[in-house]
Amino acid sequence: MPGTLKRSPLKRPERPYIALGLEGSANKLGAGIIQHDPDGSTTVLSNIRHTYITPPGEGFLPQDTARHHRQWIHSVIKDSLKQAGVGIQDLDCICFTKGPGMGAPLQSVALVARTLALMFNKPLVGVNHCVGHIEMGRQITGAQNPVVLYVSGGNTQVIAYSQQRYRIFGETLDIAVGNCLDRFARVINLSNDPSPGYNIEQEAKKGKKLLPLPYTTKGMDVSLSGILSATEAYTYDKRFSQSAEPSPENDTITPADLCFSMQETVFAMLVEITERAMAHIGSKEVLIVGGVGCNERLQDMMGIMARERGGNVFATDERFCIDNGIMIAQAGLLSYRMGSVTPLSETSCTQRFRTDEVHVAWRA
Amino acid sequence: MEVYDYPHFCLQAAVCLLTDVKNGPEIRKKIVQAATCQGEEGNALRDAVNFAFIDARLITSILHLQTAIYYALLAQSQECLRTKTVHSEILWALNPSNNISEAIRRYGLSDSTTSLFVVEIGAIPSHLDKINAIVDGTVSPFARLPEITDWGTIRKYHKLNNELAIQHIEDTTVANAMIDEIVISTVAMKSVSQ
Amino acid sequence: MATASLIINSTQISQGAEAKVYKSYVHTSFDSDAKVPILLKHRFKKQYRHPSLDTSLTRARVAGEARALLRCLRSGVSVPGIRMVDATESVLGIEWIEGKSVRMLLGGGAEGEDEQVLDPDQSFDDTTDASGESVSHLDPLEEYQVTIDGVMGLIGSEIAKMHKADVIHGDLTTSNMIIRHPFAAKGPSHTKLVLIDFGLAYTSSLVEDKAVDLYVLERAFASTHPDSEPMFFAVLEAYKNGTGKDWTAVERRLEDVRLRGRKRSMVG
Repeated sequence: MPGTLKRSPLKRPERPYIALGLEGSANKLGAGIIQHDPDGSTTVLSNIRHTYITPPGEGFLPQDTARHHRQWIHSVIKDSLKQAGVGIQDLDCICFTKGPGMGAPLQSVALVARTLALMFNKPLVGVNHCVGHIEMGRQITGAQNPVVLYVSGGNTQVIAYSQQRYRIFGETLDIAVGNCLDRFARVINLSNDPSPGYNIEQEAKKGKKLLPLPYTTKGMDVSLSGILSATEAYTYDKRFSQSAEPSPENDTITPADLCFSMQETVFAMLVEITERAMAHIGSKEVLIVGGVGCNERLQDMMGIMARERGGNVFATDERFCIDNGIMIAQAGLLSYRMGSVTPLSETSCTQRFRTDEVHVAWRA
Repeated sequence: MEVYDYPHFCLQAAVCLLTDVKNGPEIRKKIVQAATCQGEEGNALRDAVNFAFIDARLITSILHLQTAIYYALLAQSQECLRTKTVHSEILWALNPSNNISEAIRRYGLSDSTTSLFVVEIGAIPSHLDKINAIVDGTVSPFARLPEITDWGTIRKYHKLNNELAIQHIEDTTVANAMIDEIVISTVAMKSVSQ
Repeated sequence: MATASLIINSTQISQGAEAKVYKSYVHTSFDSDAKVPILLKHRFKKQYRHPSLDTSLTRARVAGEARALLRCLRSGVSVPGIRMVDATESVLGIEWIEGKSVRMLLGGGAEGEDEQVLDPDQSFDDTTDASGESVSHLDPLEEYQVTIDGVMGLIGSEIAKMHKADVIHGDLTTSNMIIRHPFAAKGPSHTKLVLIDFGLAYTSSLVEDKAVDLYVLERAFASTHPDSEPMFFAVLEAYKNGTGKDWTAVERRLEDVRLRGRKRSMVG
């Protein structure tokens, strides 16, 4: 991305730099290897992920998720090295997710990172998960200075860069959008494979009716818990039928109608607050990151809004949207190249780690 | 008399303030006749009183009246008049409640009316002579309105006596300016007032 | 379509995220030159929204904004008066206020990216100055005969009055507060500060909603005005004086909301 770093404090590397990124803040375990070259280019050498999938109607619990991560971390790291064609000794640094996320899974992965660092005498770089998403999104899409909508199972934030911080302009006042969708998927017993959000999206395509749901935007913030309970309440309605075919004629409410209504309402709210932030800071670019960012209906709606403003939407596919190791490697390596390493004594994890706490040294 | 132009409705509104009106009861009689009489004769009668007659005591400012006129024009253009004519709609718009007969009783001409706004809406409003032919009064400049306005009754009709906005204001000029703003805004948002 | 043709003959002032704002003249007289402008706010269709959701939402917001304004007026909160409402065409006509937003007055947008600001519903920039002259060399605070403390006090007391009337603004930012130009003041006793843009307003007596309203403003201060803590503190002081005994509950809840909002980020 030579163009984007014109006045950047980040100097071009004098030799290729390689970093390993480890991610396990929720139910996805990922390892990825990235390379920054002297010509300014960036190459994804590998990006391996293994997801902990629970049965329909169940969410993932911290302890079970951590157990999954411990079980799979060896093969995930081995695969990533093998695919990249590099050995651990070739790495410049090992990057891991410091937070935010679930405590036990975070710790299980950090422990592996520390062990590798000590065994092979490599520097560690602790990375903010959200910043990882943003940096990977910018890298993949080439977006220069976008307003970022970060939507995942644990986060719903509208972010814009200013003075070496990713500042949060708007966010959810209660639950995250992914959490809202996942929990509703459990209510109507949708499969968690490959992800509840994906299955809601497919179900919504069959929906025919837009049911009224609370539309709550407060400034640049949104509130989503009301939508979840209102949608859930429809499943107790006399008109609700789990098995009926969705139809615009009758008044039957089907799961597909509920998925459709929920998506239309929730995404309209998200696009609205993103647009407010764009108007507020005068930006024409928007970048969607996080697991919910894979949703094509959300991407469509955002695209229409951005075009109306004479701008563009940037989104990535599931390889980079959904939690992965490569984004941790990317953000970590940027930070490492600015001379930042995390001393062993400070490699603890934190469940709560605000996006705006990170000093973004590598941007002007 | 002043004529206001509303090119986007292709209409104009002529507004005339008459003071020292002596034939209030007589005008009322004519309005009632016009409403009941049929045929050719009825049409002539109706044409003669085809105005909105508004008791000037309940008007707080020219903008107040203009806002009601605008409301009526908009309602007519969207074919959602709540009353029979654009002229009666002005009276309805002025009254804070949705009760049509109450609006006409309060804001229309009564036997005690001595100051009167006459409004005519049309593509080209008629000449002043037509108004003089029906109303026996003195055509006055709008600047006289402050002497006419009955703030006490306006407060009562708009239930403003206990409102925070004017409760603690000693200066009547300031309080009246507040009331004017509230009353104008009430008229302006009539179409969405619950 | 009368309102649409009225808009065609009006001057567009700005385009916000939701609405286009115009300066317009109605009631033009054949007999005098006196022209009083009004501000038209047209909520245009959002193509990204489902059409029926868009229609009901827009209608509700036009009506809601008008109702909130009237409720504020009746409670003595300084807001623009209403001039016309066309819910069918999503247009709200309000009093034109000559002045400058608090954001501009405080030199808001000091941050690099903010220079190209095209602010939502912000129609009161230098260009529409009442004197018609370029006065940018003057200290705006001096020109407007106000002090920062004075402005913060007005913000706090107006919001207090608004909350006492159970109106929640829903989008409190320094862009949504105008200081009337001294030339356009309605008189010495008239409040200089005017709260605008009630597009997201609703009524509620819940302490929670009032606290969130304040929190939204606090965040707006923090994101647009660097080192704004003392300013926002002064706002809260005035708010406290204005709300009296209700303050304790709001203050406690504001603390909660801050914690919730700030530390909510959990699972990645």
